[in-house]
Amino acid sequence: MERTLFSQSETHFLHPNLHVNGHDPNMQSTNNQPQSSHTSTSRSSDSGEPTGDGKWASRILRECARAISNEDSGQIHNLLWMLNELASPYGDCDQKLASYFLQALFCKATESGQRCYKTLISVAEKSHSFDSARKLILKFQEVSPWTTFGHVASNGAILEALEGETKLHIIDISNTLCTQWPTFLEALATRNDETPRLKLTVVVTASIVRSVMKEIAQRMEKFARLMGVPFEFNVISGLNHLGELTKEGLGVQEDEAIAVNCIGALRRVEVEEREAVIRMLQSLHPRVVTIVEEEADFSSSRNDFVKCFEECLRFYTLYFEMLEDSFPPTSNERLMLERECSRSIVRVLACDDEQNGNVGDCERRERGIQWIERLKEAFSPISFSDDVVDDVKALLKRYKAGWALVLPKEDDPGTYLTWKEEPVVWASAWKP
Amino acid sequence: MDMVVDDVLTELEFSGYSTTSTTTTTVTTDDEYGCTWNDWSPVVDWDELSGPHDDFHDLIELMIDDNSTAAYHHHVGNAEAAEEDAPEMGVAAAEDSKGLRLVHLLMAAAEALTGATKSRELARVILVRLKELVSPHDGTNMERLAAHFTEGLQGLLEGAGGGHNKHMLGTGSHHHHHHHDDHHQTDVIAAFQLLQDMSPYVKFGHFTANQAILEAVTHDRRVHIVDYDIMEGIQWASLMQALVSRKDGPPAPHLRITAVSRGGSGRRFIGTVQETGRRLTAFAASIGQPFSFHQCKLDSDETFRPSALKLVRGEALVFNCMLHLPHFNYRAPESVASFLCGAKALNSRLVTLVEEEVGPTGDGGFMGQFMDSLHHYSAVYDSLEAGFPMQGRARALVERVFLGPRIFGALARIYLARGDEERHSWGEWLAVSGFRPLSVSFANHCQAKLLLGLFNDGYRVEELANNRLVLGWKSRRLLSASIWTSPDCDFFN
Repeated sequence: MERTLFSQSETHFLHPNLHVNGHDPNMQSTNNQPQSSHTSTSRSSDSGEPTGDGKWASRILRECARAISNEDSGQIHNLLWMLNELASPYGDCDQKLASYFLQALFCKATESGQRCYKTLISVAEKSHSFDSARKLILKFQEVSPWTTFGHVASNGAILEALEGETKLHIIDISNTLCTQWPTFLEALATRNDETPRLKLTVVVTASIVRSVMKEIAQRMEKFARLMGVPFEFNVISGLNHLGELTKEGLGVQEDEAIAVNCIGALRRVEVEEREAVIRMLQSLHPRVVTIVEEEADFSSSRNDFVKCFEECLRFYTLYFEMLEDSFPPTSNERLMLERECSRSIVRVLACDDEQNGNVGDCERRERGIQWIERLKEAFSPISFSDDVVDDVKALLKRYKAGWALVLPKEDDPGTYLTWKEEPVVWASAWKP
Repeated sequence: MDMVVDDVLTELEFSGYSTTSTTTTTVTTDDEYGCTWNDWSPVVDWDELSGPHDDFHDLIELMIDDNSTAAYHHHVGNAEAAEEDAPEMGVAAAEDSKGLRLVHLLMAAAEALTGATKSRELARVILVRLKELVSPHDGTNMERLAAHFTEGLQGLLEGAGGGHNKHMLGTGSHHHHHHHDDHHQTDVIAAFQLLQDMSPYVKFGHFTANQAILEAVTHDRRVHIVDYDIMEGIQWASLMQALVSRKDGPPAPHLRITAVSRGGSGRRFIGTVQETGRRLTAFAASIGQPFSFHQCKLDSDETFRPSALKLVRGEALVFNCMLHLPHFNYRAPESVASFLCGAKALNSRLVTLVEEEVGPTGDGGFMGQFMDSLHHYSAVYDSLEAGFPMQGRARALVERVFLGPRIFGALARIYLARGDEERHSWGEWLAVSGFRPLSVSFANHCQAKLLLGLFNDGYRVEELANNRLVLGWKSRRLLSASIWTSPDCDFFN
């Protein structure tokens, strides 16, 4: 596959002052892993470079993060004040980033992250409804392939892995409100002469999503009837953590062909428990496991506030710019998505992991290569077939320019969605 | 079966990412199959979502008060402490806190423009924010002042990079500034009149100089005054009146005034030097003062050439240098220096100097001078308000016509000079150049006090050196009047 990102040595040639992101030992071994922001001159994520005319928000935010790390209360005070003056959740990208990151910095400085997070969650829950959630997800899918990329790749991999099976059981660990499955059901109904039975067990972790699953269940059942697919739907919620799942708990039966679909699920597991969760997945004896995660590393730097902050800023700057680029200028959905980010940002930056046993999801993302290291312990990778790759490419053509698909070298599984040449979402498929 | 499937497919909209190759078009909202994923739903209520956010912003603002520790306690849940320490926000307190906030923002903008870590982008954004908060026409003194400073910084931001800032100085204070180009003559005259009525600045400068001149020429029959910036000539009208009404002394001497004039496009709004000459001549005639008027042109670069003066034997030579009266224009330092050097070269018996009093500016860098300038003009604004507390519009006129452009120009000068050594006063320059100070008489000092007494008791006059009176408002010194004699002049020995 052609490479759209520079290799490490080219990066250094072009930008000799850059220092490579992170000291993750995994990264040094493979030259052709997609590097992050350093290849793109428009990203100003390097902390050391003087930016005469760089983006003002990221400069002040990073200075403030450093001040907090140094416990320089005068500077903290000063910078928080300045951010407060200039920030606005309704302004341009800089102002929005300033506003949401300010909230997290303030919480960090005053050690009030947990309370703030709880409040944000409860406010969001109050106003959350099936209709608003559905509208939000659909609109996002309409203007950006951020989520649909993973759906298409995963569906393709699952369909191919379960070809010929008659009893399918998909364990969907995600918060996508089942927007992935109608197309899957349609494919099941049309690809095979004999339509297999499908049991769909959705494992929900985000508290916000639980409340709407009942309505979703009804709609899915109706739709499956429509498609003529024998269908059973179950929801599992209220788990303290995913490690508690068992075959019995999920209703797995011996004659079923199991597929596990994890969309943005692994990052919500506490870092120390991820290994256990992966082993749990292994114990389900699935035929295929599809993993989709956002490409950012909030995990390896979690004890270094400034580093974690900078990575967070890098990722969310990308995300916000993508939202600005994709949505029409005055869009409620965009605002809602940004508000969701604000919760994640507070959670990652201002909430102490140890104290937060029951404060909702973890949100510490890891990059594809990091997940690969974990998953390799229990599974072996499956490459996406050419058909699936073609489907994804066709999908991307439906959106505005800027999106691309990147396939790494043969020995590395997984596929990256890139926006403006920055990898943003990673999708992969695995077998036992 | 297929038909049904096709119908249903057209009704589904999942951003068209179907794995089949049918292109789904946008859909109907037919509810027949209960699968209409495209119904409109009510919009989320933003007000509900904004609760914690607002508290948080208020908290930040509380932080910049003196009660910042209280804000921290409050937030960490110490409710009792919060109640005790919560600041009371009466109107005055609210204004003060807004004023403080504006000062912080101005400082932040100035810092972003010139500080160690420069960022034009940050400066731009802060100025945008400032402009949202202030207007040159409405609001408190601080708000109007901040509006002018904001414009000044904006000018620096736009000019920074080009050589534009030099143009901002100009010879006319309205030179570069967009809305000052259309000052009407009547506006300017009215503003000047108001300035005279509302404040003692102009009279202080004139009367102190005039008294010193009167005392220095008591027995002379010919007096020649060379005036660096005659403007409307009002200083000499009052001098002539004083000369004519001298009792117990020789008759009024012949008074000759040479006005320094500038070629080219100096501002014309107060009228040309010739007009001033005609007016003074007519006035002198009307009171019986022997008088003649001359002009002396500066070079094109505004350098003063003593040889251009016409001198007469036996005349008492006085060099009058009014520099920073509120309605005056900026004059380039090289030009002023050439004028004062001329005084030395011609052995002028008296040099009367009126200039802005500069505050301590720390290391003299841009920030220090910027803050000093802010402090200076804030005192001026306050003093004008004390003079005409109810006449907001009148003050606004004076601010718009005179003070705004001065602020604009002052910032440009400070910006251009940043990195240079600390700026000196012209008094210091004279001292270093060998000029000798002349004592301010008791009568002169009393006159100044009387003058100020006519205005507001916020004004005060200090004798900071035996040859120097300084007019101040409250604790801020604003205008300095000093008298000197040439190094080689032996009249006062």
